[in-house]
Amino acid sequence: MSLCQDFHDDFELYALGLLDPAEKEGMDAHLRTGCATCEAALKNALATNAIVMSMAPDVVPPARLKRRVLASVGVHPMSWSWLAAVAAACMLMVALWFSVQERSRSAELAQARHTLIEISSQRDRLMQALSFLDDPSTVPVSFGKGQPIPPHGNVFVHSKLGVLLIAANLPAAQAGKIYEMWVIPKGGAPRPAGLFQSQGGTAMHILSGPLDVGTIGAIAVTLEPEAGSSAPTSTPIIVAPVAGP
Amino acid sequence: MLWKLLPVGLSYALLQVTLRFKDDSDLAKRLQDRDPRAMSDLYDRYGRLAYSLIYRVVRNTGAAEDLVQETFLRVWNRVQSFDRTRGALGPWVLTVARNRAIDYLRSVDGKMSAGALELDRLETPPLFSKFEDTALSLDRARTLKSAFEKLTPTQKQVIELAYFEGLSQTEMAERMKQPLGTVKTWVRSALKALRDDIAGEAIA
Repeated sequence: MSLCQDFHDDFELYALGLLDPAEKEGMDAHLRTGCATCEAALKNALATNAIVMSMAPDVVPPARLKRRVLASVGVHPMSWSWLAAVAAACMLMVALWFSVQERSRSAELAQARHTLIEISSQRDRLMQALSFLDDPSTVPVSFGKGQPIPPHGNVFVHSKLGVLLIAANLPAAQAGKIYEMWVIPKGGAPRPAGLFQSQGGTAMHILSGPLDVGTIGAIAVTLEPEAGSSAPTSTPIIVAPVAGP
Repeated sequence: MLWKLLPVGLSYALLQVTLRFKDDSDLAKRLQDRDPRAMSDLYDRYGRLAYSLIYRVVRNTGAAEDLVQETFLRVWNRVQSFDRTRGALGPWVLTVARNRAIDYLRSVDGKMSAGALELDRLETPPLFSKFEDTALSLDRARTLKSAFEKLTPTQKQVIELAYFEGLSQTEMAERMKQPLGTVKTWVRSALKALRDDIAGEAIA
């Protein structure tokens, strides 16, 4: 039978799990007898060990460690810094929402403005065309009648307003080509009178500005390179002879 | 060395262990009741202490953080069998923390781990109950610290190897290249010196 004195020096090492196997077995067997003295000595050794362990140099853990520990047991602290982060994130989202809305509205506004400008421009051109048609001094010229697959239409020449061309059945312009109108003086070289494109074979083109109708021999249209030409480079697809007033 | 790093007065950690002993019962109850704020309070009370101890053993911040998390998780999972009226949370948390760190050291050294089960057995919650009132008193802590300062360098070395490196006396003998009997004498004389100072203080 072991005596309590046999273990007197070993309680701290036993509590640290550092006794050699034979010593540990002896201690275990003795504690199983319910020895109150040794039970109390073991408690004292546990307390001693805790105090010695607490003598480790003080090191401050990183702040994130607490969040990590709490998260591992399913507790998520609502710290002020966390709340501030959430608030900041909310404000950022609101700001982003407004920004997106603003950008969307800006885009819509730009599109509306573009459409308005286009409509306004078309209205101006129509008004301009109407002013040709309304004025009795305008010289009208038809072209293309009676030809097999011709473009056809009308040219209106006015001494102050310029030239209005309305054409239909235009041949499609190949890639890199554009229609160019020419004012051809009687006995002179063709003068460039502006570039235009067709929509589904129809087009309206206006050369604004005064001109001497009596000197004009014809209005013509050719297909030219996209940048336009200073003199026709292809056979005219429209030639409308102008008889002066 | 450990004893040179301690201030003249008691360290923050010693104060935590001794002063908290008597008012842990409410915290233990709240932990058992799964009060969400209880774990936060437990960490505030013992987190720094556990981290310091574990870092002293493993000397690695990343591993220390992992082991602190494991320590508190283990306490959380086993707290139901803790004696809420007469238990001492501080010594239990420190013991769990030290054992996790020692277990980690042993696994790194490839010595896993006949000792792991033994360590587990020595940190069961019922063990950390029914301490004498004086066992964790401020006076006792102060006396113990003073006794440490009187140990010889060799005695201090074996105490450090036992508490912070988890070496058995046989392993200490191999490490120090000394006969096992000599090492056992150093260990026992060091522990006896601590006990005698404490007993002397109690008689005085």
